[in-house]
Amino acid sequence: MWRHTQLVVLTALSAAIYAAVLIPFKGFPIVPGFIELRPANVFPVVFGLLFGPAGAWGAAIGNLIGDFFGTLSLGSAAGFVGNFFLAYLPYKMWGYYFREDENMEQNVNSGKKLAVYIAVAFLASTVCALIIGWFIALLRLVPFTIGLISIISNNAIMAIVLGPVLLLALYPRVKRWGLLWTEIMEPEEVSASRLRGVGQILVWVGGIGGAVVGLVLSLTGASPMGAGVGLALIPFLVVILIGAFMLGGREQVEAAEKLMESETNETSEV
Amino acid sequence: MDPSLYLDKDTFVHRLDPRTKMFLLLGMFVLAFVFTDPLYLLGVLVVVLLFGYLSSTLANLGRIWFILVAIAIVSIILWSIFGSGETPFFLFVEWEAFIYGVSIALRLDATIIAGMIFLSTTRNEEVAIGLVRLGIPYRFAFAVSTALRLVPTIVATGLTISQAQRSRGLDLDSGNIISRIRKHVPLLVPVFVTTVRSTNVFSMALESKGFGAGSGRTFFLHIALGRRDVLVLAVFALLLAGCIALRVMGYGELEGFSL
Repeated sequence: MWRHTQLVVLTALSAAIYAAVLIPFKGFPIVPGFIELRPANVFPVVFGLLFGPAGAWGAAIGNLIGDFFGTLSLGSAAGFVGNFFLAYLPYKMWGYYFREDENMEQNVNSGKKLAVYIAVAFLASTVCALIIGWFIALLRLVPFTIGLISIISNNAIMAIVLGPVLLLALYPRVKRWGLLWTEIMEPEEVSASRLRGVGQILVWVGGIGGAVVGLVLSLTGASPMGAGVGLALIPFLVVILIGAFMLGGREQVEAAEKLMESETNETSEV
Repeated sequence: MDPSLYLDKDTFVHRLDPRTKMFLLLGMFVLAFVFTDPLYLLGVLVVVLLFGYLSSTLANLGRIWFILVAIAIVSIILWSIFGSGETPFFLFVEWEAFIYGVSIALRLDATIIAGMIFLSTTRNEEVAIGLVRLGIPYRFAFAVSTALRLVPTIVATGLTISQAQRSRGLDLDSGNIISRIRKHVPLLVPVFVTTVRSTNVFSMALESKGFGAGSGRTFFLHIALGRRDVLVLAVFALLLAGCIALRVMGYGELEGFSL
């Protein structure tokens, strides 16, 4: 990805947009020092779908820059990783839900695409919340339940309610400018999906399972934070990581190439 | 609103190598996590403020005071409710839980002020070259420093767009916080479009100047770790080691607090 100047620039621009919208809301904390009201959380999922890896790095860097303006702590390391996954998972998972001959453009202009968007946005929000909630609970900064619930709701509400509107408005423009990640990257630059079905299952099980186990440990008072919940959630995080490596994404680039070819043929026929 | 925190001054802290400042920032985070007793954490906060004073950057506290106060108040309330201790203090709140809230507030405020001092004393170019010298790939460091540089531009674009919409009758100031956020959301689209539209021109400008043309890259800005940097790092390492030793010996721990 880093060899494409356009993607390097998109990483910087995504990070700057995310940070610029995050900073004005630093004054509205939900869990002070860690979580604030974040309308900007509509961006990572949209960035991921449109700009692929550049969107994921942009979300991670943008969140770190935003943290310098009111929430910087050791927890910012988890914020970096969590926000990376918030944008990374949607773009990696998207292609799995469509047949090879089906239109898999990263837009929400059909009922099926909207349903896929909601599912991946919810899972990515949960994984992001799990990573950050786990780390700040491990450091004994905030109880796991508070961290998890506030981050999931912040991420998921913004991404699910506002994200589709933003994506519908932006996708045609980004495509016209030739800035979709599927148009910039070559198929051989994107890892081929290895057992992507297994990868999907692992990410879902790791994300939802980790959140449930963490909540049970926290709510029953067995281990609201510290080493207990920290150690218990490590297997789930490992499962998410392994699953994420298996997701691939090449099929989306190949589908975009085919679509572009057919559009070119149609134009030349006309 | 200008989110850039950098203050162009010629102080001892400004002249430190960016890598030294990065290590100090990281060390300050660790230092803030060594103790749980608020008296010791107050000492950590004093060290951070001393750096702020030496770098003449405490003026920037005026820009983030609201966040620092909000963090302090809500941390104390949150931990007073969720924590428990042995000594009754006020209604259902125990003294140790209240004091733990004060500790967390001091810890968070100290790390946030440390971050503010770092950005107030380090230019974007220094951040980029500091990251490269630490072994971070140049293109990643370039993305970080460019993003830092672009944040004020994008905020300014957002303000221009909101003023344009206000002049057409959009009321952004009335209603509760939720409705005000809802009114701001449509402004996100033009902010995004205006910014992302420049990607191709930006990329061509970079490539025309040889961005990524060769693997060996030279820099206009030269940085070097000098005696001053070594001295500051050594003093800070001693301070950190001393604090860790104190903690191991049982000092600086808040007793009686549990969840």
